[in-house]
Amino acid sequence: MASLLEVKGLKTQFFVRGGRVRAVDGIDFRVNRGETVGIVGESGSGKSMTALSILRLVPEPGKIVEGSITFDGRDVLAFNDDELRKFRGNDVAMIFQDPMSSLNPVLKVGFQIEEAMKAHDRFTKEQAKERVPGLLSRVRIPDPKRRADEFPHQFSGGMRQRVMIAMGLSNEPGLLIADEPTTALDVTVQAQILEQLRDLNRELGTAIVLITHNMAVVASICTWVVVMYAGRVVEQGPTEAIFAAPQHPYTWSLLRSIPRIDEKLGSKLLTIKGLPPDLTNLPPGCKFHPRCLFAVDRCLTEEPELVTVGPGHESRCWVQMKNVKDPDADLRETPLVADEEAADAAAV
Amino acid sequence: MSTITTGLNMGGPMAPPGTPEEVDYSVAPEQVSLWQDAWRRFRRNKLSMAGIVVFGLIALIAIVSIFWTPYSLFQQGLGDITDPFSRAHPFGLDASGRDELSFLMRGAQVALEVGLLTAVTTSVVGIAAGLLAGFFRGWVDTLISGITYIGYGIPNLLIAFLILFITNRPSIVNVIVALSVTSWMDMARLVRGQTLALREREFVEAARATGTKDFKIMTRHVLPNALGPIIVQATFLIPQAILFEAFLSYLGFGLPNPDPSWGAMVSSGLGDRFLAYHTIMVPALALLITLMAINFIGDGLRDALDPRQAK
Repeated sequence: MASLLEVKGLKTQFFVRGGRVRAVDGIDFRVNRGETVGIVGESGSGKSMTALSILRLVPEPGKIVEGSITFDGRDVLAFNDDELRKFRGNDVAMIFQDPMSSLNPVLKVGFQIEEAMKAHDRFTKEQAKERVPGLLSRVRIPDPKRRADEFPHQFSGGMRQRVMIAMGLSNEPGLLIADEPTTALDVTVQAQILEQLRDLNRELGTAIVLITHNMAVVASICTWVVVMYAGRVVEQGPTEAIFAAPQHPYTWSLLRSIPRIDEKLGSKLLTIKGLPPDLTNLPPGCKFHPRCLFAVDRCLTEEPELVTVGPGHESRCWVQMKNVKDPDADLRETPLVADEEAADAAAV
Repeated sequence: MSTITTGLNMGGPMAPPGTPEEVDYSVAPEQVSLWQDAWRRFRRNKLSMAGIVVFGLIALIAIVSIFWTPYSLFQQGLGDITDPFSRAHPFGLDASGRDELSFLMRGAQVALEVGLLTAVTTSVVGIAAGLLAGFFRGWVDTLISGITYIGYGIPNLLIAFLILFITNRPSIVNVIVALSVTSWMDMARLVRGQTLALREREFVEAARATGTKDFKIMTRHVLPNALGPIIVQATFLIPQAILFEAFLSYLGFGLPNPDPSWGAMVSSGLGDRFLAYHTIMVPALALLITLMAINFIGDGLRDALDPRQAK
């Protein structure tokens, strides 16, 4: 099957006084029609810049310096200004992290959705107006006719994010990019929004690229996961494969840093020590080696390629977690009894 | 006597037993929009409200003067300049024996015309320049900001004289053009600054991500959000223009006689200062009251619309 979006060797760099910030440093991934892809990584791993690069919205002084982005067989990087404008919103829509600030405070919500449709010629003016209540009710905003006539400040955070989703869907794009859509929201609202996205993906067949730092979010709605570190893909594959047997130590560490319900009592949570590398001055070899628990000599000098480790599953590592015996060893060092005693002491 | 205090009713008078406080849970507190909120703040400012009333009266007088003045402006010899104020001539007469009140009324019309029209044209020019400079940045910004700074360097009186000499026929349009050409820079700088800040806001990025055209982003997303400071700035342009017109007229470069500009009235009154003072004082006071009223309105608007800039 031909993929909807194909990103190849994409490099986005920022030219600043201190040198070049390699925000995105040669990433490859693809999104098929109707698929839900999660891009995961820490702050500064380049996931947001990847998203902005797809829409060619990289802010100054950033630039896409290399690579190709193909959407539906068309070369996005070759678009002129007008083609680009028609591409944005119509083919690929984006929703942003903070719903509080991504709606214009002085315009009515319905009008803003209408405007999003008027920017393209898929619908006439009359159709655009008529579609607003339907779109709002699709994202489960009650009383859509009345709500359309209200201003953003009259909506809660979750409601505003729903409005953003409605706006994103208004032109029936093939792909919706959601950049941390739930980060600014309450946990309960987060779940609703994710459910919303999943439903829309099922009902409308809109492909979704979900950008997040939250593994749980990925697990709940994505079928494919791309893990990014220092501007590159360190591991990607089907969600089940990655969650069942992460091969890159970074992915493994991310998963081990989340508490699990089936955790053995007394086992510790892992913290990934250190900070993501300085993107103007990347370490030699594997970019993760300074923080990696399993680094070997080769990691310090040679950067590994993405290697296929399972069906569709690739990982960029010399070691690969399947070759590590009992990686959990030092997380289990705390004796169970001591812990319970400490807990008792604290309770008294 | 001892009172049992719980965390729930600390402080404040306790309600007598048996009378639970009535709370209407069925309605949320009224939601107010930005403008309603601003109006609420504005109303609290007594000086500004007084300014509105005074300005309204002046505007009314100006409108009335188009259709009716107590005496014709061309009717001379109604009395003598040294005559005391009377019921027939509440503000006395000028050297030619014309009714001072009639002139004052028509003068209000001139002042408001000049003030409002200049504020509008200046704002339009300044907003357009500022929006373009702030939104597109790069060479557009360099060019427009360059012109702005050059504009600051040129004395406005010089430009005004130049335009008046080139056209060689003093008229209200010339005065407005002269004023607009020399006073759009403040507005341009203000709008440029606002635009620079607003263009980085997420809703502008979101609009761009939905493929909105640049022009629409500027007019729908940037401009409406900068409207508060723009209105405040425009309000302060009005007295500035009125004063400058009066100044030009006082120097004899404003409206031709017998167009009754307050500045011209002061100027001609000055010639008769050995006979009477009221021909200077009356138009000067009218000018003072008008300018104060508008400035108070402007202050109130600033506090209401632009709370961050409040002193």
